[in-house]
Amino acid sequence: MNCKEFENLLPDFLQDSLSGEQLTAAKLHGAECADCREMIALWGKLSTLPEEHARPALRARFEAMLNAFQEGRWEHEKLKSARNKIPSWGFADLFRAPAAQVAFAMLFMVIGVFVGRYLDKPAANTQELAALHQEVSSMRQLVVLSLLQQQSASERLQGVNWSLQVNRADPEILSALLHTLRFDSSVDVKLAALDALRKYNTDPQVRKGLVDALQAQQSPMVQIALIDTLVELHESDAVEQIKKFQKSPNLNPTVRQRAEWGINKLSRG
Amino acid sequence: MTNSLPDEDLMFHVRNGVGESLGVLFDRYQDPLFNFYCRLTGDRTVSEDLVQDVFYRILKYRQTYRPGTSFRTWMYQIARNARLDSLRKEKVQVPLEFDITGPQQPDRVQQEQETALLHKALMQLPEEKREILVLSRFQELKYEEIAQLLGCEVGAVKVRVFRALKELRTAFQELESQGASTRSLRSQS
Repeated sequence: MNCKEFENLLPDFLQDSLSGEQLTAAKLHGAECADCREMIALWGKLSTLPEEHARPALRARFEAMLNAFQEGRWEHEKLKSARNKIPSWGFADLFRAPAAQVAFAMLFMVIGVFVGRYLDKPAANTQELAALHQEVSSMRQLVVLSLLQQQSASERLQGVNWSLQVNRADPEILSALLHTLRFDSSVDVKLAALDALRKYNTDPQVRKGLVDALQAQQSPMVQIALIDTLVELHESDAVEQIKKFQKSPNLNPTVRQRAEWGINKLSRG
Repeated sequence: MTNSLPDEDLMFHVRNGVGESLGVLFDRYQDPLFNFYCRLTGDRTVSEDLVQDVFYRILKYRQTYRPGTSFRTWMYQIARNARLDSLRKEKVQVPLEFDITGPQQPDRVQQEQETALLHKALMQLPEEKREILVLSRFQELKYEEIAQLLGCEVGAVKVRVFRALKELRTAFQELESQGASTRSLRSQS
């Protein structure tokens, strides 16, 4: 066998798919010819190139994609990122063009003028408006009260935040917030409730509730926040409670110190 | 058990919207694909992005997989297309360097140097030559599969493998002689 013939067989030789006479002849030629032997050796050497391994992050990325696929939001996300590459004129893009923005601004201005004129006319509407306000307000109350009773802490937190939008100090909401402050299982929700209650610091029900809430607290964060609030409100009635609280066993040293500071501040008036 | 099913069955599930089966295929092929791309591009980050792209495309084009045909060939077809697309927008390549520092045995150093040279020689080849070597040597694809992948005759694949290997030998020899001359210069000075 000469080199030319060997070259024709080499690829099959390399993948071990030669047999019989051809294999014997190829081996024989390889033993004789250094050049051809080197080709075989090089093929072998290629296996010394190190095997690469993907980082675990790749698997994480894949899983994120798979999750997105299974939740049916992946096409949308991919399209969103693909949009940067392919210029297209969808409806949403209309809002991005400066000329269109000016046109929209003018359109809204004209609408505003007409609406303003129309609403300005009848005075009788103020009554309706007041009734509407009333209704919205009671809707909010309902939302707050129901949110505060939810299982999830984030929903209760939302409830506390909503309570800030209720203008009047509604006794029902205040007592719900005080209840949250005393008994909620989440420190975050308690702290949010305390913050919300500060807004109603002139209400005697709230002030008394804050004083009473101290004894029931377990979390040092809430304890300190409560003491601070009482000092801030100059609630002198709280001194006795704080003193009693300060004597309770297993108190965090920082909290005990804070309580002492609070007593000093409040007794000085 | 899903884990022992052949690729084709798993892909059939994926085609019908069963995402979990793709996880098994991912575990099977993430490293082969990653190596395929590393050897082709010499860049790990680019390679990772490409592997991710392949699996994204598998999901996206799952309906185009014809049940009963080889999954592997189909996947490499997608992998090649992903690479071609990325070539169009590719910026600077950061070559994959082999770490040959640190205390080592002399013969080990020599072996590592040889490997580094071989890698360098491979990276010097035009991409289509490198690709055919990577497919036939590292991905262990049969010539028939490669022919299907590239859309040509099996005979043509064999010719291309031979030519690529020959060119690799020339590049490797040149690098070796360069290395030898610098070494001898160093030992003279």
